[in-house]
Amino acid sequence: MLLPRLGSPSWTLISTSRRHAASASIGHGLLNHLCPVTKHPLFFVRHATHKAQGSVNGGKDGPGKRLGAKKSGEQYVIPGNIIFRQRGTLWFPGENCGMGRDHTIYAKEAGYVKYYLDPEKHPKRKYIGVVYERDQKLPLPRNSARRRRLSLVATVMSEESQEKLEDNLTMSASDVSGVRQQSSGNDAKGLGRHEQLEMSRGYMYRESNWQIGRTAEKSGVKVKPFKPGDRWAAWRKSTARKARNAERRGMRR
Amino acid sequence: MSGYKQVSRPLLLLCRQKALVQEARIHAPTVSRGFTSSRPLRDESLSEAASSPTVALDPALVSTPREEKILMRMGVKPIGSRRRRAALQTCANVPFEQLPYQCFQEARKILLADREEKLREIELERARIARLKEQDAAVSGGEAQKQVRLRSMMDRLERLKILADINDPVVRKRYEDGKGDMNKPIYRYLADKEWRRYRRPLLVQRITQMAVAPDILPHLDPVVDVRLAFGRRNVQPGDFVNSRVSEMPPKLRVQVFDKGERLVSIAIVDPDVPDIESDAFKYRCHFLAANIRLSPTEASLPLSKLSGDTQILLPWLPPFVQKGSPYHRYSVFLLLQPDRKELDVASLRETVERDGFNLRSFTGKHSLRPVGVNMFRGIWDEGTAGVMKRAGVEGANVEFKRRRIEPLKKPVLPLPRKKVEPFWKSR
Repeated sequence: MLLPRLGSPSWTLISTSRRHAASASIGHGLLNHLCPVTKHPLFFVRHATHKAQGSVNGGKDGPGKRLGAKKSGEQYVIPGNIIFRQRGTLWFPGENCGMGRDHTIYAKEAGYVKYYLDPEKHPKRKYIGVVYERDQKLPLPRNSARRRRLSLVATVMSEESQEKLEDNLTMSASDVSGVRQQSSGNDAKGLGRHEQLEMSRGYMYRESNWQIGRTAEKSGVKVKPFKPGDRWAAWRKSTARKARNAERRGMRR
Repeated sequence: MSGYKQVSRPLLLLCRQKALVQEARIHAPTVSRGFTSSRPLRDESLSEAASSPTVALDPALVSTPREEKILMRMGVKPIGSRRRRAALQTCANVPFEQLPYQCFQEARKILLADREEKLREIELERARIARLKEQDAAVSGGEAQKQVRLRSMMDRLERLKILADINDPVVRKRYEDGKGDMNKPIYRYLADKEWRRYRRPLLVQRITQMAVAPDILPHLDPVVDVRLAFGRRNVQPGDFVNSRVSEMPPKLRVQVFDKGERLVSIAIVDPDVPDIESDAFKYRCHFLAANIRLSPTEASLPLSKLSGDTQILLPWLPPFVQKGSPYHRYSVFLLLQPDRKELDVASLRETVERDGFNLRSFTGKHSLRPVGVNMFRGIWDEGTAGVMKRAGVEGANVEFKRRRIEPLKKPVLPLPRKKVEPFWKSR
């Protein structure tokens, strides 16, 4: 530890005397009188540069996150089964596998887990895939058709949807516009309002913007055309607005 | 009033003064108008067009959507962009040689000199090729070596032909107007370049992302531009097409970029037909035709106009996707027949089957090379049942549903609860 020095060393004395001489020659003797450098002892403190308390050096060992393989190679999985939990992408989803929000690899098809490399796809990545036959190898050759399974069963449609089919049988190419049937017959059958509407981009049934724009025209609403520079109309409107606001304020109290 | 007109309005107003002066001088409107702003003239032409639609509007000069519509209805396509047509109205149509710009003319001289040089080189190369052809193979280092040299010289000749014309502004203009003669190498080159700039990368992306390439054929490298249209609906690669729209066979526009005539086959294949027995997907061929002549000048290829006797092997079967089935990819393949060799349609018609059609083996058997490809997709929609009924296909009332997969663990049953008597009763 460094201790503060009590007396000023001899070299400070020498330097100040020199400065006295120099400043006197320029004519600034007064400044030296006011700030006598020599009378201050040299004090300083050395602060800690490395924090020792608080949360700095703690947290060395938290609870384990239970990462790693949940299914081993060639183990049977069904869709949705988690195969590997990881931080970051140690493994990538390959055939019939998907990757979750936290990079978890899960199965998309029922089958057997395969851990493999695919140098043609990526030279360094490791993949996890699911195959239908246990003895199938991954990766498949680049130019061979993918192995796919239908995983569906054929059923006969419900009678309700079959009735709908009968209605649609007569439609031809000229009816195609992405719009649901807007014929007057629909109203008679008691279809809801949304049945007549168009399915828009956001998966909702709504009128298209041009139809909404025509609403006023259809219901015969007339709006006075805006006349720029018409101060009389502007004054009337603003006084009406002010009166309305005043009334509203009065109601609030 | 569209944007460019708004912008150019002050300029036009300025010009109009000049125009009025000129009109007073000329009295009658002529075809080659000088620096007229042309408002009076255009009004006149408009009123003419409105009064009698048979009077031809100039497809190089129309600039309003209304005039364009009138022209389109008459079956004439306006030339170039609307912006250019509007600009042409106000400028004199002076040919390049007479334009009064010195720097421009000097630059043209340089380009012309370059063209002359290229033409000389072409002559020289042709003479060299002729000499090499006559030469004995032993002198030129064997037959194989001779062929290699010949091929490289022919390549250079083709390159020179393009280089001779590539800087010609008139050639560029004619190409952009769609008036290029596809028999000439320069126009084929420009068309190919344009196709490879955007449309081909898009197509390649779609066929790789939707796995057409390994699913139907092992590898695809399209060199021919194939465009699809159902009636008036142009189909971009991979579009979903309504089943009612695709009920009639599509119209193809096929642009080849190399010279000569060739024979091709066309196959439209669906690799996503559900097969319940094997719990997998199988192929189905929706259209197959062979011995179709193709040349760079004839682009239009309506499938409905092909000859049923000599070309069509399997007539058009409208695409249909049963309810609940994942989307079907309908891929159109253009297959080049080697050495313009015709396929025997009559005998093939007996062997080829729609269901389970394997394009890999078909191309292998007849050594066909896929040169062009395009695709669209289909899904169950409200018109599919009607399409299936009209096509005489069964199974419109079938709906595919997810098969239940048994969970790996047995469900844990809740323990039987002990019945607890309320305290007031137990007391």
